[in-house]
Amino acid sequence: MRTFRVSIAFLFVALFLVPTTSKSIPAFARKYGFNCNMCHTAYTKLNDFGQRYRDNGYQIPGQAGGEKTVFETPPPIALRTTTGLSVYSDTSGGTTAGFNIFGLDFLAAGVLHKNISFLLIYTPRIDEPGSDYTGANPAQPGGMESAALVFSNIVRDALDIRVGRFEPAYHPFSSKRKYNIFAPYEVYTFTTPNNGFVFDDNQIGIEATGHVAGGFKYGAGVVNGSGANPDLNAAKDFYANLFQTFGKGDGQSAGQRIGAFGYYGWQPTKPGTVIAPTGETNGKENKPFYRWGADASLNYEMLNLALLFMGGSDDKALNPFDSTAKYSYTGGFAELNWAGLLDNRMVVSLMYNWVSPPSNDLARQVNAYSALLRYYLGDWSAVNVAIHAEYTFRKTGKDNPLKEHQFALILDFDF
Amino acid sequence: MYKLALLLVLALMVVPPFLVAGDPPDKPITGVNVQILGPQKLGPLPPVVAPPDNPQTTLKILLGKQLYFDTRLSKDNTVSCATCHNPAMGWSDAGPTSAGINGQRGGRRAPPVSNAAYLPLQFWDGRAPTLEEQAKGPIQNPIEMGNTHQVMIKTVSDIPGYVEEFKHVFGTPAPTVDQVAQAIAAFERTVVTTDSPFDRHVKGDETALTSQEKAGLEIFNGKGHCTACHWGPNFTDGRFHNIGVKQQDPGKPDLGRYEITKDPADKGAFKTPTVRDAGLRPPYLHDGSEKTLESLVEFYNRGGDTDDPNLDPLIVPLGLTQDEKSALVAFMKHAMTSTNPEVANVKPIPPSELPK
Repeated sequence: MRTFRVSIAFLFVALFLVPTTSKSIPAFARKYGFNCNMCHTAYTKLNDFGQRYRDNGYQIPGQAGGEKTVFETPPPIALRTTTGLSVYSDTSGGTTAGFNIFGLDFLAAGVLHKNISFLLIYTPRIDEPGSDYTGANPAQPGGMESAALVFSNIVRDALDIRVGRFEPAYHPFSSKRKYNIFAPYEVYTFTTPNNGFVFDDNQIGIEATGHVAGGFKYGAGVVNGSGANPDLNAAKDFYANLFQTFGKGDGQSAGQRIGAFGYYGWQPTKPGTVIAPTGETNGKENKPFYRWGADASLNYEMLNLALLFMGGSDDKALNPFDSTAKYSYTGGFAELNWAGLLDNRMVVSLMYNWVSPPSNDLARQVNAYSALLRYYLGDWSAVNVAIHAEYTFRKTGKDNPLKEHQFALILDFDF
Repeated sequence: MYKLALLLVLALMVVPPFLVAGDPPDKPITGVNVQILGPQKLGPLPPVVAPPDNPQTTLKILLGKQLYFDTRLSKDNTVSCATCHNPAMGWSDAGPTSAGINGQRGGRRAPPVSNAAYLPLQFWDGRAPTLEEQAKGPIQNPIEMGNTHQVMIKTVSDIPGYVEEFKHVFGTPAPTVDQVAQAIAAFERTVVTTDSPFDRHVKGDETALTSQEKAGLEIFNGKGHCTACHWGPNFTDGRFHNIGVKQQDPGKPDLGRYEITKDPADKGAFKTPTVRDAGLRPPYLHDGSEKTLESLVEFYNRGGDTDDPNLDPLIVPLGLTQDEKSALVAFMKHAMTSTNPEVANVKPIPPSELPK
């Protein structure tokens, strides 16, 4: 049991240290000659226009036709990297400090044909200096974070289809495009003991999204539910989300938005006998699990308050602590963002995260408090450099909790 | 439970599209396909390209200029093209909407003639595909020049000076309506504003813009979302958008582009005007309802004035601060104002100098 707890603690320290990736796509800005905050309140957070641009298959909303394809524009390639100093300490004693490269993303995206577009995000493996000498623990594992085709306006505004690996619509707030680089949405990254599903992961499958008159938005999809890993059962997972917006805007940077989401999936409890060439297995005795939640995004001038409450429940067969009860947990976050100074050059963000696991797993209870300050340098054409300072205090466990402090001062470079 | 979840997801994927009205078909109305013009970057204006059937000649341009300033083209000899498209008022007029013969007022503001040569469609609703077609319209509009083409041609044909000039320019014995339109269009193709501080800035003159105007350009092309429609060298996409302007008379709504296309998506949509020289021609919007650039920026900053279901998705509240609004106004008012004399110094031709 002690080994298990140490492993879990190690896993979460690792999760805590590895920054969550977030994205903006200067290739789009270069395509149009727009400045980045045409689409971003301040990169990487999308404003309403940017959200509508994404929803519209990377085509300017309200501008039917006339989009240049990737064959008529400069190469639609962008990269983002973050580098700087991070300082970490916890209750075990001592402090670490080091300069690091915290992440590198290559992005390509564009329109292939009217209403057919793509997004590809590749994160190369980074070994130095975050790995040990064996290379077993890279600072960033290599992977194809996103590779999706978007068929938009199958019914004008009301039906778009994404196919491939994509950021699923059941994320009411994008963990890829939030200001925090180090502090995750804890309830997104929380994993239950015998379940490979991670709410935060991009998923492979197919998704329908759309806007309907009256400020109503929906999303629904069918996915493997295994993130980047091979699926271990033949059953597919399903999800849906609904949003209602009030006032002008989509609730991203103007207007108000409330929503609800649900995810229903299956997890095998016994290994399968068939292994496909692509790694999937036909795991047996699938047991259900679900996630559900509600969210609100409230705006007042340049203030945005993001609220999310979420619950999760795994079948009792997936509960290693009590085989007679489901493994159920709740969690959420409150995030207050402010963008100010001329052209939103400064961003201040405060965030509180919590996760409340069941009483027999309180060692994994999380409370985290984060604050950040970003200041954007240079002009607002397609090149951006931001100075980013972020602090997080994270408390794990109820009794004798592990208390962690992390501070980072970095440059966030986007080209 | 599994089946229920599957059913719910399938329902969400299938049902919502049917909750909206059917997708109206694309209806190209004119010979010009405005959709071929994709988003273009801001920059200096390229040379004007004249249509092959109406090449530019010096004499034709001069003839067109005379016709442009000649009130005799109107029914009661009081209104010329320049009455509503006055060079001294940014090639528009004092507004809020334009006045024709007998003081009659239309429901829309006079679009500027300057740089109209670059537009794929003319008029606020795009009903004319060329400058030549546009030039014919107001002559026989009952509340503009109030004439008929036949009477106008008779008037011109009765002026020996014009007959002589038309002979030289077109080589035909008598003027025609098409020739009048071609001459006016040829003149209008010379009304190009190319020497604004913005133009000098993009050509490399670091001193052309003040720091506030540079900030305004930054906002224009970013947080202000202006270039989402006001793009390219002419600062307009040449397309049609419902930006949330309140109807002046809800009982008789002006449906804009819809009147031409009959596409419900075009209800309340009007053509994007150029921003070049905008500081010279208040008031703003198709109905002149915003008196100043300051109030125009406020209009956009609050996301328009209506909750029209047809409101363009480009229109969202902007969250501009007072400093940002001031910078945006400074950019539009000063940095976009042309100083090239061949345009800015065009003076009306006095009646005494018109052909007799």
